[in-house]
Amino acid sequence: MAEGEPTEGPITAEMRAAAQALGWEEGLLERAIDWGYSPRTVVSALGTKLAPAQAKSFLDREPLKPDLTWMDAPTEWGVRAEQADADMGLTVGDIMVGSYGEIPDLWTDRTEIARGSNPQLGQEDMGYTIFEKAVVWTDSVADLYERAIRDRWAPATDLGWRSLEALPDEVEKAICQVMTEHSERAYAEASVLGRWLPEISYGFVEMKLFMSSVIYDLARHAEAFRKRALSNGGGLGLQAPTDLIRGASEARTYPELMAYLFVQDSAFLTFFRHAGDIAQNQLERDLYALVASDRERLMEYQVERFEAFLLAMPDRREEQQRYLAKAEVRLAREWNDPAVREPLILLLGGSRENAAAGEAALTALRRRQVEEYLGHLDKAGFIRSRLHSGLAVYLEEPETAPA
Amino acid sequence: MSAAPTTPELDLSWLDLYDDPTSAEPTKKGLTLDAIDIGDYASQEDLPRDMTPRLRGATAREDAHRMGLTYNTKHDVWADQCRSLYEEAVQRQWSSARDIPWDTLKELPDEKERAMCQVATMLAEVEFIAGDVPGQWLPHISGDEFEVGLFLMSQIMDEARHTDVFRKRALANGGGLLQQGAGLGLRNLIEAQDFTEMSVLMHVQAEGFVQSMFRMGELIGPTQADKRIFRMAAQDESRHLAFGVMHLKHVLSETPERREEIHHYLDKAEDRSAGGGSGDVTFPPVFESLCILLGGGKDRFDEGVAKFLLLRRRQVKEYLHRLDVAGLGDRRERLGSALAQYAN
Ligand SMILES: [Fe+2]
Ligand SMILES: [Fe+2]
Repeated sequence: MAEGEPTEGPITAEMRAAAQALGWEEGLLERAIDWGYSPRTVVSALGTKLAPAQAKSFLDREPLKPDLTWMDAPTEWGVRAEQADADMGLTVGDIMVGSYGEIPDLWTDRTEIARGSNPQLGQEDMGYTIFEKAVVWTDSVADLYERAIRDRWAPATDLGWRSLEALPDEVEKAICQVMTEHSERAYAEASVLGRWLPEISYGFVEMKLFMSSVIYDLARHAEAFRKRALSNGGGLGLQAPTDLIRGASEARTYPELMAYLFVQDSAFLTFFRHAGDIAQNQLERDLYALVASDRERLMEYQVERFEAFLLAMPDRREEQQRYLAKAEVRLAREWNDPAVREPLILLLGGSRENAAAGEAALTALRRRQVEEYLGHLDKAGFIRSRLHSGLAVYLEEPETAPA
Repeated sequence: MSAAPTTPELDLSWLDLYDDPTSAEPTKKGLTLDAIDIGDYASQEDLPRDMTPRLRGATAREDAHRMGLTYNTKHDVWADQCRSLYEEAVQRQWSSARDIPWDTLKELPDEKERAMCQVATMLAEVEFIAGDVPGQWLPHISGDEFEVGLFLMSQIMDEARHTDVFRKRALANGGGLLQQGAGLGLRNLIEAQDFTEMSVLMHVQAEGFVQSMFRMGELIGPTQADKRIFRMAAQDESRHLAFGVMHLKHVLSETPERREEIHHYLDKAEDRSAGGGSGDVTFPPVFESLCILLGGGKDRFDEGVAKFLLLRRRQVKEYLHRLDVAGLGDRRERLGSALAQYAN
């Protein structure tokens, strides 16, 4: 049958006209139908305006018979995850069922494979370096991730920006200095954590989900602190000291990074928990409380990960003393930096005239930070052999209250 | 003897740094990044950059450490509207746990459930790298363009949600994960040695191909929950794409001499993979599962194939359109052959 003959069978005149308009070669429609394509499919193909060459390769051959072997991939089938808590919805924890919830101590697949799917041979090595569960994992990561999503907040709209009122010049500048410092600290920590994401293999996907939420939390902290600095007649002050964050970026392994950050994450959490004492208004109280509540999740991860790591790899226990010591030295040094210390003295004292009281209050805050840091280590089952003197000094009982 | 720390005199020099008292005003969208991009704190081309962790506008410390190499010119990383894209990301976060009507999932014919699970398996894989790649670049963004960093951090959160929502879908309706995808092209993204290379391959090409697929989610998704997953994910992808298109546009207008270099990256990516960094949709398990979903069943496979070709055409057409918007309209003439066959 050739083009131009009276229309017969499934090929309509409209189909012929469409094929001709597209420049399809003669006889292609017939060949397609002969091969077994349905007229509906041929009409669809015409509808997609297939170019002649494309049409030829599509229609001028036997209809594709799907292979469908993937349907029988030897993975666990028949999973219907149930919501454990209707308020939380369908959580990552809920889908950790059966084989899909098993986290191997050693993950061996070097490719980008969704854990639990059937490996395709011949895939490229993606270059991950972290394959040991004990290095990154704690069982609460799935829960922490969903809590982070539930508790999210937006700096632009969840803080009462219109409620800000002018403050005494030095007080405003002290706040701006604190904001400048912590905006940088949050941003830099997120940046350092981000750089570790490509190291972590798919075996620990839930942990990476949680770490992604931490990075996003820290982004908003950086954003919110900057916004506060620029919204009430002040501006940005002196950049934050760089000792502490530089040490984090020097870490050669993830456990080192985490042990090192343990010190600052603990110190910052205690700081924001008590930062209501330096807040001058409701906006700042809300901001500090929100930041503290985000940082609670990070610290929970830190403590639990450290505990699990130490249990699984006891031979690496002593080594951790070094990372902690390195961070303590730098933290103590930064605590003595005038631009870190003095704004807090002014804010805690209320004015320059009341600096002595401010200093006493700051010493009490530092003491609390050191105590809670040791408390966090204790919870992780770690005994700090020799706390750095720059922090230990805050634990000594002062004979008399500072004048 | 008092054991309390010694108390030096107050230095207070940090009080003398404020030449430009700044009071940003909230807008009707709250106090946004655009609202605080003012005065001395606004983003600028010519800034004294120092590769330290200092964020734009803070006074530099003389003794600050450098933290490794960062880009030293704004246009190497900048995208106009990155501030508003970040704010939109913060406002439009959603929850895969609570914003997907999981209760509308219903028992599907086995072949359809398997097909949807196969597509979900492939996407749970593809979305994973989309978080790693921005993470890799964060340390190279100068604090003078911190808004770009914030945007990438929001993308990391978005991609975590995409990874988790497709995994949830595979495990929520009596199915499971199936065959690993072909992965072709994914390594392109992590292999990039330059921010613009990364952005054009990931944001514009790979996420563009994924976006064109998500936009056909109404045809692909067999249930209301599936359609909603695609819709919500597409909303996020449109931001990632917008960033990439705006960045490319910025680069091409500020440094037109980079045009051939950028074409060269695309040559490599288009040549290597039919999926162009978005996972290979022509890989049989992915191709077949999409055809089953698009056609409406195994017995309507050939109809699915026709719609699949429509999807491919749409992917390529939209890809070329985005490049055109960014100022790379001449890509049409040199498109890789795997894509060119769909470009008519
Ligand atoms: Fe995505
Ligand atoms: Fe994306």
